[in-house]
This record gives sequence, C-alpha cells and structure tokens, in this order.
Amino acid sequence: MKNMDPVLLEVYRHRFIGISEEMGVTLQRTSFSPNIKERLDFSCALFDGAGKLIAQAAHIPVHLGAMPASVKAARDAYSSWHPGDVVILNDPYAGGTHLPDITMVTPVFGLAENAPLYFIATRAHHADVGGMTPGSLPLSTELYQEGIIIPPVMVYEKGVLNEGVQALILRNVRTPKEREGDFAAQRAAHTVGNKRLSALMSQFGEEEVALYARHLQSYSERIVRAAISSWPDGVYTSEDILEVKENARIKLKLTIQGDRISFDFTGTSGSMQNSLNAVLSITQSACYYTVACLVGEDVPMNEGCFSQVHIDVPKGSLLNARPPSAVAGGNVETSQRVVDVAFKAFAKALPERVLADSQGTMNNLTIGGISEEGRPYAYYETIGGGMGASLNTDGLSGVHVHMSNTLNTPVEALERAYPFRIKVYSLRKGSGGLGQRNGGEGLIREYELLRPATVTMLSERRSHPPAGLFGGKEGETGKNMLIEANGEETELPAKFSRVFQAGECLRIITPGGGGYGPENE
Amino acid sequence: MAHRDEVGVVGIDVGGTFTDFVWRIGDRLQVLKLPTTPRDQSEAIGDGLGKLNVGMQAQVMHGTTVATNALLERRGARAALVTTKGFADVLAIGRQNRPSLYALSQQRKPELIPASWRFELDERIDAKGKVIKPLNRADLDRLSEMLQAKQVESLAVVFLFSFLNPEHEREVADHLATVLPDLNVSVSSELLPEYREYERTSTVAINAYVQPLVAAYLNRLKATLQKRSIFVMQSNGGVLSLESAARQAGRLVLSGPAGGVVGAFEVAKRGLDTSAPEIITFDMGGTSTDVALCPGVLPRTSEGFITDLPIRFPSMDIHTVGAGGGSIARVDSGGILRVGPESAGADPGPVCYSRGGIEPTVTDANLVLGRIPKDGFQGGGMQLDLEAAMEALASLGRSMNVSPFEAALGVVRVANAVMERALRRISIEQGFDPRSYTLVPFGGAGGLHACELAEALGIEQILIPRYPGVLSAWGLTIADSTFDASATVLLDSQELLARPELLEPMYLSLVEKVNQGLLDQSTEPSFQAWFDIRYKGQSYELEIPVDLPFTASHINLALDRFYAMHDRRFGYRLTGSRVEIVAMRLQGKHMGAPLRQEELLREVGGAPIMQNERREVWLDSAGEQSIHFWNREDIQPRKDFMGPAIVGQYDATLLVFPSWRVSSDRHRNILLRRM
Repeated sequence: MKNMDPVLLEVYRHRFIGISEEMGVTLQRTSFSPNIKERLDFSCALFDGAGKLIAQAAHIPVHLGAMPASVKAARDAYSSWHPGDVVILNDPYAGGTHLPDITMVTPVFGLAENAPLYFIATRAHHADVGGMTPGSLPLSTELYQEGIIIPPVMVYEKGVLNEGVQALILRNVRTPKEREGDFAAQRAAHTVGNKRLSALMSQFGEEEVALYARHLQSYSERIVRAAISSWPDGVYTSEDILEVKENARIKLKLTIQGDRISFDFTGTSGSMQNSLNAVLSITQSACYYTVACLVGEDVPMNEGCFSQVHIDVPKGSLLNARPPSAVAGGNVETSQRVVDVAFKAFAKALPERVLADSQGTMNNLTIGGISEEGRPYAYYETIGGGMGASLNTDGLSGVHVHMSNTLNTPVEALERAYPFRIKVYSLRKGSGGLGQRNGGEGLIREYELLRPATVTMLSERRSHPPAGLFGGKEGETGKNMLIEANGEETELPAKFSRVFQAGECLRIITPGGGGYGPENE
Repeated sequence: MAHRDEVGVVGIDVGGTFTDFVWRIGDRLQVLKLPTTPRDQSEAIGDGLGKLNVGMQAQVMHGTTVATNALLERRGARAALVTTKGFADVLAIGRQNRPSLYALSQQRKPELIPASWRFELDERIDAKGKVIKPLNRADLDRLSEMLQAKQVESLAVVFLFSFLNPEHEREVADHLATVLPDLNVSVSSELLPEYREYERTSTVAINAYVQPLVAAYLNRLKATLQKRSIFVMQSNGGVLSLESAARQAGRLVLSGPAGGVVGAFEVAKRGLDTSAPEIITFDMGGTSTDVALCPGVLPRTSEGFITDLPIRFPSMDIHTVGAGGGSIARVDSGGILRVGPESAGADPGPVCYSRGGIEPTVTDANLVLGRIPKDGFQGGGMQLDLEAAMEALASLGRSMNVSPFEAALGVVRVANAVMERALRRISIEQGFDPRSYTLVPFGGAGGLHACELAEALGIEQILIPRYPGVLSAWGLTIADSTFDASATVLLDSQELLARPELLEPMYLSLVEKVNQGLLDQSTEPSFQAWFDIRYKGQSYELEIPVDLPFTASHINLALDRFYAMHDRRFGYRLTGSRVEIVAMRLQGKHMGAPLRQEELLREVGGAPIMQNERREVWLDSAGEQSIHFWNREDIQPRKDFMGPAIVGQYDATLLVFPSWRVSSDRHRNILLRRM
C-alpha cells in the first residue's frame, strides 16, 4: 500500500463519516415509522467493493457486526450489479438480525461501471412487518411466526422498481402505507450516499479515495491492536442466565493474548423454544461493542477495529441460532446480556475501566389494535433504565444502555397518533444499586389503553437483578404491572402478550443499574 | 426608531475577551475595543460610552452573553417547575438517550431545576385539548405555600397539551400573580405553545432559570445608561426592547453569534448590490467556528440547542464546530493528525502568546507559515513568539517525519477539513450549491482560511467586510427590532384550503402577542409569517414562508414551496400524500434605519500595523514565496491586483492566494474573485 499521509488520512476520516452521517439525517428526517424518525433506530454505513466496512455513523451499536453481514449476504445472492440496483433483506439467517430491521444495500460504481467499488447499506427498524402480533416482536417459537421473511432480493433493478416484490412485502404487513414511506426514506438516504461518494471519486480520483479507505481501516486496526496489547494477558471467565423457562445459560471464556482477544462461548445453552435466540452477527455486535468501549479513544468504526477480535460461538447454541429458531428478542434482549457477561469477564482484567451491570433489557413494548377510525395500527417502543456505576461516576438514570440508544417518543406526539394515554413517566427513585458509586435509576412509564389492544412485552431482569461490582449493591429488578379499571394491581410476567380492555393500565417499572465498590460507611 | 441618524446609535457587543463598540451618528462612525468586565458587563459599557462621548439621546443596541453564561456555568436563579402529575421528571429524562455511545462512565451536567423543586399538579388535558382532570384549587394554595417556603425566585409552568388548551396553565399563573406577585412566572402556552413536551419544558425552564439574572443585569445597565433607550439582541437576529428582554430572557440565549450574521448580511447587501444576497458567513474564533448560510434571507431555525438542552425559541440557523485558532494539533497513537476539539482557548492560548501554552495550535501554524505577521498582531499591541511556535511545530513534525513547515501546512489543512465539513453541512447537505454563494469571512482569523475553503467548495467570490473584527457590533447598529410568536395549528392542508378562515383567530392572537413584545406602538410593524409543514406521518417539519393574508392561494403557494424545499433537501416529493400544517409563526418587525455612506472617524489602535513590503510566506509545500503585504488602508477602489498577497489591519489578517483578484468597493469592503 502506498504511503499514508497523516493529514490526508484525517481529511478522509471527515469525508467518509460525513457521508454516513448525512445519510442518517436524510433517513431520520423523511421517514414515517416512529422507530426511525423519533427513536433513531437505524444505521447507515459505507463498505468497500469487497464488503469491508469503511465508515458507520455512530447510531446503534447492535448494528455494528450486523451491517457487514447484510452486505455479505447481498453480495452472495447477486454476482452482477448495476447502477440503480437496490437489494432489500431482513432474513436473520441471511444477513438480517430480527425481522423488523430491514436493510437495503446498493452498489456504488466508478467511471468503469463493471464492478461496484463501494456498497452502501442502511438498516432501519420498521414498526411492523406482520407476524403473530402487531409490532412484530411476538412471543414466538419459530421464525415463521415473526413476520414476513425477506431473503436478499433486488427490489430495484437498474433504478426500476420491482413492483411485484414491493407489493408482496406490503401485503404482508399491518401498516403498508407507513412501510412504503419508510422505504422511500431509506432509498433517499442511499441516493445521498451514492451522490456524495461519486462526487468524492470524481474530484479526487478513484485511486486516492480507495487508498484512504484502506488506510482508515488500518488506522483503526493499529489503535485497537495497541490498546489490546496494553491489557493484561490472561483467561477470564464469566456467565449469566436469561429469564426464560428453559435452561438458558451464557458462558464466556475471554482470552487476552498480546494484541489479540478472543471470546469463546463454549458451554452456552442450545437454541430455545422462544424468541430470545440470537444469530451470530448479534453476538458479534455485542462483543465488538465491548471492545470499542474499552479501547476508549474515538476510533473510527470500520473493518480494522475487529480484525484482532475473534469470536467462537457453538453452532446451534442460543447465541448462534440455526433456522427456524425464533429470534425477535435476541437482538434486543440477549444482546444486552452478552454485553453484561463480557464486562463481567473484563472486570477481572481491567477493573478500573468497566462498569457494573446496567438494566440489561430494552423493555420492548408493542401495542397494536384498531384505531377509532377503523385503521389497524402497530406501535413499538423501548424504555430506558439504570446504567451501571463505574470507578469514578454514578450510572446515568433513565437512559438506554449499551446496545441501544434510541430516543423516547414524545407523549404529545404519541397520544395524538395512538389510542392510549401515558399517565406517568418518571424516574424510579432509589432503584440504582448503592455503592462507592451508585447505579443509575430505572424509569416508570404507565399506559392507559383507550381502546382494546394487544399488548406484547418482552423484558428481562424481572427476577434476576443487575449485579453490582466489587462490593456494590445490585440494582432493583424491573416489574410489569396490570392495573385493572377497578384499581386492582397484578404483576405480569417478564414476557407476555395479552389483550387489554379499554380503561386497563400497564405500568412498566424498569431495572436500576448495579453499584460499584462498597458503599461508604 | 426612525431618527437614529440624528441622535446616533451605538452597537455594543460583549464577547469573552473584548467588548466591541461601534458608534454611528449621522454619517460618522467610530470603533472601540475594550477588555470585557466579566463580573459586571455594564462596567466596560459605561466606560466605553464615556470614551466615545455618546449622547443621552442615543440608542443603545446591545448584544450580551449574560443569559448564555448563566446557563453554561449553571449560575441561574432558584427556579422551580410545575408539571402535570406524573411528569415532573420529563426535564431530567430528556429524550432517554445517553450523551455518548461508547463511553462507560459518563455524566450529565447538573439539572437546571433539581427534583426537589419540581412539583406536580393533579390535572390533565387530553390529546384533543379536552380537560379530563380539572385543576384543584386546594392544590394551588399548597403550591404557593411550597414556593414561598422554598424561596423560589422563578417558576416554569408546563402542562401536557397546553398548546391545545392553555386553561390550566393560565389558572396557575393567575393564582400566583395574586398571591405571589413578585414571583417570575414563565408559562409554556404563552412562551412556546408548540408540541413535544421535553423541548417545550426545556425552553420554558431555561427562560425561568436565566430570567431573574438577566433582568437584574438589564436594570444595572439601565442605571448606567441613564436616559438612553436600550435594545437587546435576541437569538433570532433582531433586537428587543429592554423591558421585553427582561421578561423573556430565554430569547437571548443564542444571541452571541447572531449579530455577526446580521452584520455580514447587511455588508453583503451593499457590497454585492442586492437586497437578497446569497452568502455563507464564516466566523472563526479562538475555540470554535460559526458558519451560516443565507439564501437571500437570514436563516432561521426553531431547533436550537445550548450544550445539552434544547431551546425552541426561533434563532439564527448557525452551525458551530470545535475548530478555531486555539485548536490543538497532535498526532495520535494510530498516526493520524488531529486538530481539536481540545483548545488552548484564550488562556493559556497558542504557544506564540507566551502564556504557558506548549502544544501547537492553528494560530501557531499560521505564524510559522508567515501568514500572520509576528509583529503586527492585534494592532501591534501583541508580540508573538515565533521561535516558540516553530519549536512546537518542529516537535509535531518529528512525529510525522516532516519539517516544521510541512507540519504547519498539515495543521492548517486538517483545520480546513473540519471547517469544510461544517460548510458542507449547511450548504450541500441542505440542497444548496455553495458555488453560487459568496463567502463572507469575519472574526480575527476568518480571512486567513477563506481562500482555501472557497477553493475546496468551488466558491468563486469572497467578500471581506470593512470591519471584520467588530462586525457583530456593527450589525447591532443596523439590526431591526423583531418579535417572534408561534401557535400550534395541526391541520390537514385540504381542510385549511377549504376553510382558510380557521387560521384567523390564531393569527389575531399572534398579532397581539407580537405587538406586546415589540412594545412600540408608534408605528405599525410589518409582519411576516411561516408555516411548519410536513407530510402527514412525518415527525420533522420544514419552516416555509407564507404570504399574508392567509388566503387559499397563499396557502397553496406555501404548499408548493414546501414540496420544492422537501425535494431540495431530501431528494424526493410525495405527490398525492397528505400534508399537515403543524404550526404558524409570526414575526413583527420595525426596520432599522437605512444606512448612509459612512466615513471612518477613528479606529482605536488604528495606527498602520505594517508597511507595504514583501515578506516570506508558505502557501503550499513548494516552499516559501516572497509576497506583498498590504496595509488595509491602502486598498483603494478601482485599484485591483492579483494575489498572492496579505492584507493586514488592526484586528484581522487576510491571506489572498494566487489566482484570486483583489478589489475594493465604495464602502471599502474587499472583494476577492477567483480568476
């Protein structure tokens, strides 16, 4: 590779990240799903012609390892590409994660137009993709129940819409108009990315742009190698469980050796008859995320970050599920548990750098039914909680932790659009684990249903609390409460799907974070 | 404000280091810079007015950072918040996201209003504006007792859906006005009747938090200025009477960079001889750079932020990046050259300031390259230490295996990349082609980087104002006085087209609000209106000008503008989709007096800073070139010449690259054209 100019490298870092961020702004500003426009549950990334990540805007960590898998699946499915092609997919077993996350992949060509020099990908969490329950995060036992499965398929060919494919998809979802708008928004983001990347190539030459894409990847690799080298060599183990009926244990053996690190999940339980199975790319995302956090510097996220990170997960285990295992919750819940397990192992190597368990769940709530005007609707949101404490700081309260960082939907936007009412949205005082530093506090959010609706809840840490670290106390467990019209309160399980009648309320109380170090006397 | 010419007008802009004065009476103009008096900004102001001999009839137009600093330093009032039951924590929870994605230990800034001062009242209005839980009088009495017991100075009142039905908020305000007449009360349905509870709460809380402090400051100022009439710069680029500013202090929070954009826009009107100049302003300071795109009008936004807090009063749409003259350059462990965001600021400042700075900054790089004269900085009042800067750049160069000069060129290039990204964000990313725009640099360092940035963006023309170092104060002297008010509409466009009269009551109430805010009943203000519009189902609106009165044809015209703007910014239009008018905005305006040809009386420290001579300067890696140094005073109209050249004046330096032609207009602005 030609010599790297440290100045030009920085200039290109700005250019590449600038493009992925601009794609994100376009997608956010023009989409229709609350998940995308209000909660920012999406990612935008640039890849080289071989499908290696060059830049990803800092949006959602759970998409880190999963975006490259999507591009790979698209490239595996199609060997010949043309300008204007768009491949769409959500199949968890072919480049996807869980069905609501729909990814688009497009090629970017240079002057020659014989083979793509780059790929652009966007992934967005769509509010509904069909399946058993509105919002498409059901309590399922196999993938087919979770919604429409889209293998990598070309939805635009040379810029021309394959109307059959689009019609097939839209007929399988509850809110087709909204989906159509979101697809337009995703495609608009691709148009922007394509335009900017092409402009870069015509202004500075295809060769220079390609060269600095590679330089940027090796730059990240150097930073990560240097960081891992400074961590104490050794083998560190940890484990935790998921709150499901089956035996669901996650076991990790973490090995730091020189500038390499390996995550070995041998001993983890097999796939389950519920939706908390994770596909491999989810497990990878969670591991990459922990390394990115610990490296600490402002490293550009790309292929180079992960070349020294090796991840072994037994095939058919709950962290490397096989078809047709259900996976709706693996993305949102199991990924969080993998992060906590990984930090627990790292705690033995880098005690001053890690944090105690955070809320360890995204408290996924979907509500669906028929609106007053007779239209079906599907609403999805996730709720923040306590972040774990670390050596020098208390955990943040009422935030999304680790693999998610989505925003809440304003109550004044939500109540105008859906037939329910928020009665309480507050911090859950005293729920963070005490310690030398305290864990962050959870949240309380209470919903009153104004019309009958199917409510589905996917949550964790309802019976096993987030642990403290080095003598810090554990955070409070979460609770899901049913409040009937007469005021009677009943605790609901961590995972449930239930038809609520008008006037019934659901109160979700989210977990606090664990404390760090013994509490001062 | 019609007689400014005879009585004189003085623009006073308070910055972190200097307080700038521009005093204009008749056709004369005078400029003064004094050190800011941070403890009480009015001290330097009184001092300056004495030095300039400003008469008692003069109008004072003032840009102050009192509100901004109170927020940044969390030195505001003992403020409390009253909310709907169940929602006292909205302010603390925010949008439920964490500030940094990958940081394992992170902290938020202290809350403006801590939990113990946030109170809930058992009331509720639903999403259609219907009261479903009425206010309880007994609760109001308990509230006022509590506020008294806690010695609360200022109160924010924010109930859910008050933008649809302000009844409950008004009841609280009326009750408190009777029992606690001295309490400052900020009511959300009056200040910002717009949906999204967190953003509204944050805005109203900010107003409550800074209001007592700002009011006290403006009172002191009034005493200092005696009979002179006082207007204060707002975030929206217009001035507001002192009395209105004291009541709605939140409107001043983002005013800092606004005066400069107003000034640049006015300079461009005259320099480019058009009433609707298309310019990009570029204000490079010590720690950050502010850029704004004016597509023939001043750019507006209602989505401002101050640090982590949203503030939704209309403000100038100005984008800030953390790169300035004091930004520190270093090579990180992966071998990349980074510039900023760490800054040496004003203290210790760049290495060449000899105040203890040891890491090389952008200013040091410019000095090493010969682009800033070491003996002519800030009116010659400051000697720069070239050797120390050279040593710092040499050390940086060693870590990249290059000479100090190449390292310095690299530092400038990376700083330019950061600023270029900012300029792209406000132009290309919004659908505006910068190549048809004129770049207007100001601030001390803007002119040093203007040519390189213009070249990177394909900009063909650069306009350098006559007074780049005091442009904000100059802008103040000609600012219009304005007041903005808004109302939630939330109506389908078809409905509105069928019954445009639905807007009438809202419009009338906004007119009344604006008239109250302007406080000047002597003449009728001119009005301008905007709609916030989106495709039904989207969450973000575009602010689109709409002509008055609200007839079906004017509404249709606004809709066409919306389709075109959405297409321009996002690349598509959804024909056949329903469109929603979310909000109506109205601005009332009293125009500032028109300008005359002005004659410079005196620049303080205005002695020629350098002789016309040749010096050695690095423009690129080819090596030093001998280029001409001009004194700004010697640049005359009709005497064009080609770059390379350096043009110096007492507070700013302009670096002209080869292939740029330098000319001067009759207002003594400099115009660079790329040949």
